[in-house]
Amino acid sequence: MTGTYATANTVVALFLAAWTLISAAANRPRGVALLASGLVLEVLLLGFAIGGLVQMAGSDRDLARAEFVMYLVGALAIPPAAFVWAWGERSRAGTAVIALAFLITPVMILRVQQVWAGSVG
Amino acid sequence: MADPGSGAPHAPAATGRGFGRLLVAVYGLFALAATSRSVVQLATRFDEAPLAYLLSAFAAIVYIVATVSLARGSVTSRRLATVAISIELAGVLIVGAASVLFPDAFPRATVWTGFGSGYLLVPLVLPFVGLWWLRHTR
Repeated sequence: MTGTYATANTVVALFLAAWTLISAAANRPRGVALLASGLVLEVLLLGFAIGGLVQMAGSDRDLARAEFVMYLVGALAIPPAAFVWAWGERSRAGTAVIALAFLITPVMILRVQQVWAGSVG
Repeated sequence: MADPGSGAPHAPAATGRGFGRLLVAVYGLFALAATSRSVVQLATRFDEAPLAYLLSAFAAIVYIVATVSLARGSVTSRRLATVAISIELAGVLIVGAASVLFPDAFPRATVWTGFGSGYLLVPLVLPFVGLWWLRHTR
């Protein structure tokens, strides 16, 4: 859960967040590139969630399983929800909504890792 | 900020458009965070800190109402949003102050503990922004 794959997801999400924030600040119109990048992140997150669930199923140690699954599902649900909510808004605020979703993703991954490490009470 | 879509001068501007889109997204995020937090807390370890966990659930409901009513933006839901955000403001101030003055009463954190310090103090700023936005779009 703390491996290279999680770090890769975090790096990609942060990079996309920075790029999307710059687009919003520069008031650039949204395009297919943003949608495609969201799709890439979502596929990565899907891999993260499946990996997490498999690891959880294979572990018999004491773990806050409900929280663990919730954060995995949350991380997976936030970007699509942001795209649905943002797509009707053509101003920069719509782009900022997507940037927010990308920015939250590393936090969600971090929380998944914290629950996995057992430091969440 | 010329908006070709706002033709009717007397209709209230929609609270879910423009900057409101982002504001609703932030509210939605807190609705999600507070709801999932309180569901887990209430379901798995209510006995540990009933007050904190009930407050989490209360905060969750306030955030949900604020999110939905800001997103809808009709005349009625603007009123509802104003009430919900006022309660949110009172909640974060009272719970924030109480958690600093009487830390023993809050053995477990809520969204509003320490004025939302666990969430980069966003819970403290958010109701002010929400009320400003409601005035701004009136």
